[in-house]
This record gives sequence, structure tokens and C-alpha cells, in this order.
Amino acid sequence: MKSRRHELRAALGFLLPNLLGFLTFTAGPVLFSLVVSFSNWHLHRTIPFQWIWSGNFLALLRDPQFIMYSLNTIYLMLGLPLAVAGSLALAILLSQRLRGIVVYRTLFYLPTFTAGVALMLLWKALYNPEFGAFNAVINRALDLAHADQLVRSLGGAGVSAPTWLLSTKNLWGLEAEYVRVGPGQWGLGARDALIIMGVWIAIGGNNMLLYLAGVANIPTELVEAAQLDGAGRWAIFRNVTWPQLAPTTFFIVVMSCIGGLQGGFEQARVMTQGGPAGTTTTIAYYIYTKAFEEFQIGYAAALSWILFSAIFVITMINWRLGSKELSY
Amino acid sequence: MRAFFVAAFGALMLLSLVAWRIEPRSPAGKTPLVWVSDDNPARRGQIALFNKLHPEYDLRLDPGSGMEKVILQCLAGVGPDLFDAYGPSQLDSYVRSGAAWDVTDELAKRGIDQAREVWPAALATTVRDGRVYAFPTNIAVDAIWINKDLFDAAGDPYPKGPWTWDAFLRVAQRLTLRDDRGRIKQFGFLCDWWYWPQFVMQWGGRIYSPDGARCVVDSPEAIAAVQFMHDLMYKYHVMPTPVDEASMATQGGWGSGTISYFGTGRGAMAMGGRWWLCTLRDYGRLNLGVVESPYAKRRILRSYTRATLVNRYSPRREQALDFLVYEAGKAYNDLINRQADAVAAVIRYNYTPEFLHNPEHPEEDYNEVWREVVKYGRPDDWSPFINGQTATRILDKQMDLVKNDQKPVPEALRDAARLVNEEIAKTLDMDPSLRLKYYRLTGRERPE
Amino acid sequence: MAKSKDFAAWWYRRGRFGASHIVLGVIAVTMLVPFMWMVLASFKPLQEVEQLNPFPSQWRFDNYSRVFEQVPFARYYFNSIFIAAWVTFLTCLTSAMAAYAFARLRWRGRDTVFRLYLATLMIPGVVVMIPNYTIMVKLHLLDSYTGLIVPASFGAFGTFLLRQFMLTIPPALDEAAAMDGASPWQIFWDVVMPLSRAGLVTLGIFTFLGSYGSFFWPLILIKSEHLRTLPIGMLFFDTVYGRQTNLIMAASVMNIVPLIILFVAAQRHIVRGVQLGAVKG
Repeated sequence: MKSRRHELRAALGFLLPNLLGFLTFTAGPVLFSLVVSFSNWHLHRTIPFQWIWSGNFLALLRDPQFIMYSLNTIYLMLGLPLAVAGSLALAILLSQRLRGIVVYRTLFYLPTFTAGVALMLLWKALYNPEFGAFNAVINRALDLAHADQLVRSLGGAGVSAPTWLLSTKNLWGLEAEYVRVGPGQWGLGARDALIIMGVWIAIGGNNMLLYLAGVANIPTELVEAAQLDGAGRWAIFRNVTWPQLAPTTFFIVVMSCIGGLQGGFEQARVMTQGGPAGTTTTIAYYIYTKAFEEFQIGYAAALSWILFSAIFVITMINWRLGSKELSY
Repeated sequence: MRAFFVAAFGALMLLSLVAWRIEPRSPAGKTPLVWVSDDNPARRGQIALFNKLHPEYDLRLDPGSGMEKVILQCLAGVGPDLFDAYGPSQLDSYVRSGAAWDVTDELAKRGIDQAREVWPAALATTVRDGRVYAFPTNIAVDAIWINKDLFDAAGDPYPKGPWTWDAFLRVAQRLTLRDDRGRIKQFGFLCDWWYWPQFVMQWGGRIYSPDGARCVVDSPEAIAAVQFMHDLMYKYHVMPTPVDEASMATQGGWGSGTISYFGTGRGAMAMGGRWWLCTLRDYGRLNLGVVESPYAKRRILRSYTRATLVNRYSPRREQALDFLVYEAGKAYNDLINRQADAVAAVIRYNYTPEFLHNPEHPEEDYNEVWREVVKYGRPDDWSPFINGQTATRILDKQMDLVKNDQKPVPEALRDAARLVNEEIAKTLDMDPSLRLKYYRLTGRERPE
Repeated sequence: MAKSKDFAAWWYRRGRFGASHIVLGVIAVTMLVPFMWMVLASFKPLQEVEQLNPFPSQWRFDNYSRVFEQVPFARYYFNSIFIAAWVTFLTCLTSAMAAYAFARLRWRGRDTVFRLYLATLMIPGVVVMIPNYTIMVKLHLLDSYTGLIVPASFGAFGTFLLRQFMLTIPPALDEAAAMDGASPWQIFWDVVMPLSRAGLVTLGIFTFLGSYGSFFWPLILIKSEHLRTLPIGMLFFDTVYGRQTNLIMAASVMNIVPLIILFVAAQRHIVRGVQLGAVKG
């Protein structure tokens, strides 16, 4: 057996290149931002630099926008389970020896490639309230079912196709300005539009790739052994595939949570400008505006660290749940 | 596996060699200057002209129209030599962050007196507390573009200014056409909601009090103004609602937005700037006219300006100053007028014969109108006691709700004023120098 | 002679193949449509780009040449690929080594340090940008290829990903090699790395894609024209005076081509090549 010290030296050798860069470009700046979050650093010279310790954090809790945008961020993560499950299903489907499997995989990954202005323009067109594909179908369905008259006769306010990116409605009925449920705010709006678009992009994307690699890694002996024991397909999935994919699943779930809580930035910047009425602004976008538009660096750092704490807690929870991962 | 990595490394080193060989060497003997502004063909023409007139310099554009780039670079001490401010509050931010060089004396030494040479409305973006920090690149006061073909089709005479909104309304209603299903296929008037401050100013209201100490956008005049805009959409139906606008997008257009809707004939009249020509010229088939914007109680039009500043910490700031001098000169201003990048900021260059009749575009016979409207231009109200972008965000959020018909106008404006005043109070809490200034101005510690 | 039994071939019998094709086909079409729309839009004259009819009334092949005329697109192409290639190489190499230290070697404090790595992934990047930028300046890395490559190569993401992959490799292989007297370095290269091929390729794709499409960091780091990458270059077509969407589409299509080639080439390594010389059946 190797001695501990021997392994430590070897470990350092392996770790060093990455660790050096990590400390310089990642850990150092992160520590810096922690330090800054205890101050009121503002880019205007006329505001004297002061250590205000918990000042930023207390102000955070009383900031109505912070709560609003946190809710937006969480709301936009609603599509996550669907995206992950979809990726897994697709990966399994695409692990077969079908003809043209590479073509399928490339096609599914296309949305991730084309991410950016092009894709967002297209989805804007799709969500067009009058001519977009979605509403064309929805309007047809509503017409056929005479849904509008039906609802009115029951005393409701009528029903029509959602206006998607122009609407502040949402599935929780949240109002646009205050944190409360409002009448007439139930429906499908900008946030839901972003969720749908997000799931569509994600199911064929990075997660699917990870699952593909994970599935490829499953040793066939395990599968053959289970087969010999006469296990059915579902049993094999439950007892062989799923546990073998556990480290991959852990990675995907953790990264998706981290990404989700930190996300929404691109869409806010390019597609919706945080609107309508601030409903698609997420915490990440809020931090950006606080830092680069309002120049309150200290406050932005504090926001970042609050966000970090939330992510940390969730990741630890994930870690506990995923502790059945294969470890060495 | 090892072999693969070694081979990859080799290939990358080869590529690096190539990269090193094809790296352009900066022309010897020329002082490099970097200007951060937005990248577009007009900008490149302006730079090329400067380099031609000043062969000792090599001016380059560094694209970036938000403030982050300049801020970050200045913080790290490697800021650009020249950068642009897109409005008074951006200028304010740059001055207060210490990045702007006070060029009052330097420009005076070169014989440039902004206060006399430049349109007064542009000074809001260049002068702060009596000191000059920048030179305006252009000035834009918007007017109403009219599509003459659509007027001809309706048999209406082209409107002539000055005229009031009531007269305007009659014309707009006549030019709003519906199809057989009752849906509007041509709007009488296209206008971005972004112009709301102009309406407020014309109705006699203000966004901030004259000393900038409080937000007064909830005054009855302002409410009436915004109500009128809302009525244009929802009562008179001459202006498209957001849903209408989204539908128009799919019927084709040049890029997106109001310019494209106007360019494809979806609207007979549109509120826009002379810089629309940069895009509209490519249409070719449009028969355009310009008329001054209608006015209400006051004949005020909104003006906006971009200005170039010199970085105080740049080692080449004296040379960079030559660019500001260039912006004050004939060559640059004539170019601006020719490119239709709004209108030249220096007054006398708008009174040349080339301004009225650009030989490259003889059909543009309305340049006199553009010159006239600048006289009535006034920049937006702003307040030194609140960050410009914060205020914009608060106001825009309320305007979004009004635009979507989700909130009545008086309530929205009252909430807007309240929220802005709360922000002002917060800013005063943060900044002792502002507190002092506020107290001197108003005798109070915070807006009540 | 054992039939080459794939995990996959086992999973679906022949009769199921037809159903799979249908399901996959439907989803694939929905994925393809936006891309086709984009390609078609890149041939349209500007007024038609946002129209519902996907087909151009006149095919403007010159959109592509116009892109090259208006900006030094070839240079941007070279820069993006060059930078992305280096970042991918460095990331894969250093992350693999670090991942090996976390997944395979035992040493005191290993799990704590790993959690620290993980923690840095959770910090929103915005505020970290300021100190990062200052460090760059102090190291004279501003406005250079090095500045664009080096900082991007040292995130914790790659380490995390590869560690998870390495955990799925049976330790029996390591022990067998160790008994033969192999050093950790040799075990790393000869045993663990070949088996991590799927993970490496995946990380490679992610990293290349991320670097290729990164926008904000190059925006603030680059000052010279000759260093600009594709996303920055495309800004030229999206100005306050109007957005030349058709040219953006043409540029985007050209953008994607190397990615597709890379992806297709990398595919084989994710599917196949895992059990090479591993545990003999």
C-alpha cells in the first residue's frame, strides 16, 4: 500500500498546474469580492470608501427588488426537471446503433450551437401574438372548442391566446410590481415563454451530451449479468443504468442548479431587456446592473455572496442526496 | 493518449507561430489613439477622415457602447484615450468617477468657445458645473417623417409646421386605414414610447424640478401628457399598441423597430430623427418629407446629444485633445451632415449651402426643417441626485405598464415619482458631497 | 466468439427501431427548423428577413461576401478558432490532471479542497470581473492572445466534470497497474486517461463552444482590431442605426460550421472507444 505522503506529493504534482491558475484567476478574485461586499465601494469618487460590514446585507433584505428578482430567478428554474429528464431520455434513445445516429445527435445539439442573436430573433417571431406558430395553433384550438364563449358563460372573463413576451402574466399569478398574487395575472407570459425556450434548447444540449458519455461508459458486463438474471428493461434501468449514471446525474443536477440560479442574463440582455416591467430580470442581471450601471460595487458584491450562499446550500443538499455516488 | 496531446501541443505551437507572424505592426512614427464608441459605417468614415487630416496619428475604434468597458478599463488604469457619453447622466457619472478630463482651459487655448459655437441644447452633455469636459459629436432633435406616397393615396396635403396635436390628430385619423376585417393595416402615426419626455415637456410638465431635487412627473400636466399618448393608442387608435407592433414585425422590415415599420409603409407618419436616413436611404423607393413635431402648450422639442470625452489618465491626452478640436472643425461637421448622423453640433456649419442640398442625395429637400427644429430643442430633465440608469429603469417600468394598458396613467406616474424620490433619498444617504449640495440648494436633507 | 454486444443494441430490439426513428425524427425536425430558417434568412435581402415566408424572393449570395468585405471576418475566424483551441487544450490537460488527484489519489484535505473548487463555481461572475481585470493588467496580459487564453483555462468546471467521470472507472484497473510497479503518472496516462476519453471529448466540446462564443470578457479585454473574435466582430452589424439581420445570419452560419465539423468528428469518441484494452470480457 502506498504511504499517504507519497500520494500527497504525487497529488501536488498533478494538481499544481490547475491549482496555480485557479488561485490566481478564480480564488483570488473571489476572495476580493467577499472583502468588497463588506464595504460601500462605489465608483463615484465623491462617495468615501467605508467598511460598512453588515450594512449591505441588511439593505438587501429590505430591498423589494431583490425579493422580486429572486422569485423571478426561481420561477425560471421551473423547467429544470423537465430539461434534465428530457436529456436523459434522449441520451438513451440516441445510444442505440441506429443508422444516422450521428446526424440526429448533431441536429439535437444545433440549438446550443446557434445560441445567440439568431436564435432569440427566431423565438421572438415564434412567440408573436398574432402570427407566431404557437398562437396560430392555440387560437385554432380555442376557436374549435368555442372556449371563449364557454368561459364567459361560466362567469369568467373570457380566454384568449397568451401574448407571451409582452405579458407579465405567469403561472403563479404574481403581480409585476409587488410580491403578491393578483387578480387577472394568471396565465402564460414572458417568463413562461423563456422557460419553454430554455427547455427546448437544453434537452438536446450539454446535458444530453454528458449523459451520452455516461451511458457509453457503462460496462457491458453489468448489463449482461443483469440480463442473464432475467431482468426486464425497466428493472435494468433502475438497477444498472440509473446507479451507474449517478455521478453524471449529480454533476448535471448541481451544474443546472448553479446555472439556473446564476442565469437568465443573456435572455434579459438580448431578448427582453429585463421586461416587460422587470418580470424577466433575474438576480444575475440585477447584479450586473448594480455593478455596471449604478456603480455600487460593494452592494453588487454582497448580492453575489447572498446568491452564492443560496447556491451553496442547495449544492450541499444535492451532495447529501447524491452521496450514494460511487466514491473511491 | 499521450501521443495525441503531444501532437495537439505541436499543432498549437505552429498556429501560434502563424499568429505571431500575421500580427500587424503598428505604423511607425504614428501616435496610436483609441476611441471607444459604437461601431457602424458612419463612425468608420469619421475616423478615416481624422486620420487623413492628421497623419501623425493612428486613431482606432474600440467598439463598446455601454459604460462597462470604459469603467473597467479606467479602473485598471488602461482606459481608452477617448470615449463617448450618450447623455447628461452618463457625463455626470464619468465626471464623478474621475475619468473625465476637465478641458475648459485647453479648449480655450485652442480658441474654441463651446458656449458660443455649439447649439445650446448640446451643452447639457458637455458642461458640468461650469467646466467643460467634452465636445458634442452631433445633436439630434427629432421630427415627424411623412410618407408622401401614402398621403397622396389618401388625397391629403402634406402637413406643414408649426401645428398642434389637435390638427395632427385629425390628419392621423384620416391616414389610419383598416382592412375588411376591421384590423388596422396602416397606422397614422408611429412613435416609440421613448419620446414620452417630449410630451411631458410640451404639456408644461417636467420630470424633475428645475434644481433636480425631486421628481415631479406626477404633476397634472405630466399626467395629461402621458394620458394623451395612451389615448393615441387605445382611444383614437392611430398609434400601434405593443401587440400591434409585434404583429407588424413579421410583415417585413429593415432590421426591427419603428424605422422598419415606417420604411415598409405600415405608417404614414413617424416620429424619428435625421439619423434614420442612414437606414432609410437604402430603401430608395421612399418618397419622404419632414415636418416639425406638433406641439401642445409649449413649443418644445426634445434634443439628445452624444459627446466625446478625453480620459484624464491617458498618457496621450494632449494629443487626444486634437480629436476634440477636429470635432469642432469644418471637415468633421460637414461629414456629419452628409452622413446624416443627426445634425452637426456646431451651429455655423448648418448654414452652409451643402447642408441644405447634399449633391449625393438631391431628393433630400427638407434639411431646412431639420435645422429649424434644433432651435426648439431642449435636453431632457435630469437630476444629479440620482443615477441616470436607475431612474430610467424605474420610469420605464411604469411606462411599460401604461403602454400595455395594465395600469391607469395617474397611478403609474404617482408611483414613479414616489419611487424615484425614494431612490434620491437613498443616493443622498450614500454620498455626503451630494447631501451637502442638496442642502445648499433646498435647505432640506431629503425630498419630502 | 462473443457477439459484439453493445449496451445500446441490447436495449432496443430490432422491432423497436422504427418507433425510435419516428420519435427522434419528430424532435429532430423541431430542432432543425430554426437552423434552416437561419440559413434561408442569410440569403434574403434585408427587408424580408423577419417575414413569415422562410424562402427568399431573391437569393442574395452576396450577403456572404459582404460580410467579408465589411469586417476582416477571416481574421476574426482565425482568432476565435486559435483561442478556443488553446483554451480547450489547456483546460483538458490541467483539469484531467487535477481531476485525477481528486478522484484517485488519497491525501489529507482532498475533499475539503475539492469543495472549495466547487464553491468557486457558485460565485456569479460579474463582480469577480473587476479584480480579474486588474490582475490581467498587472500581469500585462491586456489586449493579447495570452490574456484571452490563460484566464479562461483555469475554471473548476473541467476538474469537476472529469472527476465525476474518473469515479466511474473501476479501481481494479489502477490496482492492477500499481502491482506491476507503475507510478501514478504512468497510471494516469496509460490507464485512466484512455478510459476517460468520453469525458475528455465532452469537456473538449463544452470548452471549445464556450470559448468560441464568449462575448463579455473579450469585449473588455481587447483593444486592437487584429485580436477581435467573432462575437465582437458581429457587433458591427447590429448598430443603433439598424440591425443588418441578414448579414448577422450569414455570419452566424459561417460561425457554426467549424463547430459542426468538430462535433461530428468528436462523436465517434463518445460512442465507441471506451472499453479499449480494459477489463477483458
